Amino acid sequence: MRLPDRVTGLFLVGLGAAAAYGGWQLPPVPGQPVGPNVFPLVIGSGLALCGLAIAFGIGHNFEEKEELIPVEGGQPPPPTGKLYGLRALLPPALLLFYVAIADRLGFILTATLIVYVTATALGARWKVALPLAVLAPIGIHLIFSKLLRVPLPPGVLPMPW
Amino acid sequence: MLNTLTQAFALITTWEVIVAMLAASVYGLVIGSLPGLSATMATALLVPVTFYLSPIAAIATIVAASTMAIFAGDIPGALLRIPGTPASAAYADEAYAMTRKGEAELALGAGVWFSAVGGIAGTLSLMILAPPLAEIALSFSTFEYFWLAFLGLMCATLVARSSPVKAIASMFIGLLVACIGIENPGGVPRFTFGMTNLFGGIEPIPALVGVFAVAQVMRAMLTPEPPPIPRRKFGSIMAGQWRLTKKYNWQMTRGNIVGIIIGVLPGAGADMAAWVSYAISKRFSKEPEKFGTGHVEGLVEAGASNNASIASGWVPSLLFGIPGDTIAAIAIGVLYMKGLNPGPTLFTEKASSMYAIYLMFIIANIIMIPLGIIMIRLASYVLRAPRSTVMPVIMLCCAVGSFAIGNNMFGVVTVATFGIIGYVMEENGYPVAAMVLGIVMGTMIEQSFVTSLIKSDGSVFPFFERPIAAILAAMAISALIWPVLVWVWRKLKRAPVPATSAR
Repeated sequence: MRLPDRVTGLFLVGLGAAAAYGGWQLPPVPGQPVGPNVFPLVIGSGLALCGLAIAFGIGHNFEEKEELIPVEGGQPPPPTGKLYGLRALLPPALLLFYVAIADRLGFILTATLIVYVTATALGARWKVALPLAVLAPIGIHLIFSKLLRVPLPPGVLPMPW
Repeated sequence: MLNTLTQAFALITTWEVIVAMLAASVYGLVIGSLPGLSATMATALLVPVTFYLSPIAAIATIVAASTMAIFAGDIPGALLRIPGTPASAAYADEAYAMTRKGEAELALGAGVWFSAVGGIAGTLSLMILAPPLAEIALSFSTFEYFWLAFLGLMCATLVARSSPVKAIASMFIGLLVACIGIENPGGVPRFTFGMTNLFGGIEPIPALVGVFAVAQVMRAMLTPEPPPIPRRKFGSIMAGQWRLTKKYNWQMTRGNIVGIIIGVLPGAGADMAAWVSYAISKRFSKEPEKFGTGHVEGLVEAGASNNASIASGWVPSLLFGIPGDTIAAIAIGVLYMKGLNPGPTLFTEKASSMYAIYLMFIIANIIMIPLGIIMIRLASYVLRAPRSTVMPVIMLCCAVGSFAIGNNMFGVVTVATFGIIGYVMEENGYPVAAMVLGIVMGTMIEQSFVTSLIKSDGSVFPFFERPIAAILAAMAISALIWPVLVWVWRKLKRAPVPATSAR
């Protein structure tokens, strides 16, 4: 998801301006020269200035070229289709799936799904992914719920401990 | 002093601390040696576990895991040419060249031995530097604290291996994140958008886990899996290390000193220490032509340097609550959680806990030698674990761990969000470490800034009136304008090049 500096710079200008505006709107503390509004104003302005500098390429020549270490005997480089980059969004999407469903489905089943999907997405065959998806959630449940007393949602498949 | 030391010994010789330290050591060695899982990630994933431990056991796990992980990063670096942690990246090529020459034992042995020596040197610096600095710090007012925190943030941006402007922008993003919540001078909800979950602000730990762990799983989705390590039997790991110690005595000492200095600087961590020391080693070597061909000299210096920086990174953390690096940033979170609030008074009020931390560092570095040797011998098995089985477990730990921090699903949302933020920032050359420091230090810097302004009745002159404040201000401001000066100088230097010299 490499974006041109102009795009990220302008995004930061917008973010900085929004922060400064948001800070400016905050009520001051009566009888006090500075309140909760000063810090966001300073940060927002600074961020907007940095955004402008980045958009205009200032400081770009400080950036070091990425050093790529060629992998010997590894897998061939992955295909680089247009939608291939979207695979990166799978982990955060699975975490949000956990938030949405864990209370109803329970920890074990949700975790099994998450582990299976992540493992298969990373190239594991079902012979590896399936046992991992069954065993890893039970192991993690044992450590966090039994040993560390973290209240994990039981859902439809509560553990006996 | 003797009494305090005895108390410290009593604190660390409980079963809980011993077991926690051993388990964290093994964990640190395994995570550190798996390519792509950094020492910071190892430490961040450990935090939820520390909730349930006593304060000393909690700190012990952080100390042991971070120390071991930084060394363990050398193992895949030497065997696969893929550094386990960024701190080993500086000399992964060199170590791999040694392996190809049939000197894997010497390279790995130098990794474990000089890391241990460096770690102990770093601990000594912590023991010697911190108490006198604490005495000076006791006279600090909010003006000094403000400039110190500001200087810390500027150091973090100066040492980033990217554009300083992007690093400063990252720092501002971190400070902006720290603005969220009602913990501000007016006690009003700020940037909460009416969401009650945001009233308490963004916790640094889920943000760290997101930036360092989830972002790494996201990267793994797009990059090819590293090749499996060939099975091999290792000879004696420690043979020849004493000879190297005598031969490269000065290089080792220089590596320790550079590591300590870089560790103490806020924001510059073990990876910076390793890069700088490797470069110094090559620059001042009597045989620089051998570098890159499998020459152990750079390994000695950089290996000692990165571990020395780990312990010395705790100096600003314990004294001022300003993290030396991202690992120390996590440690600060744990210290606060356990009632050991960082600050100069820690050295007088909780002296035995301080000594316990020193002792734990020394013990961690000593047990690193036998555990490291076992880990090297088992490396062929551990490093064969395919990424597709490790990453799903990491994902699950991220979900459960971030939930455990506040027993709240919002922690999991935070982790996912910061995973995306960290991934996008890193892809576009914005250093995430600067953002993390901004998040950790935001509240402190705002408090000292606003309190100082209230004290001075809105005037900025008192910020420069006290002598130490003036010195710190001069340093911080020069750090801020330094990139501009370099940029202007480069422009001027490039301008007068005559046209004939261009090809």
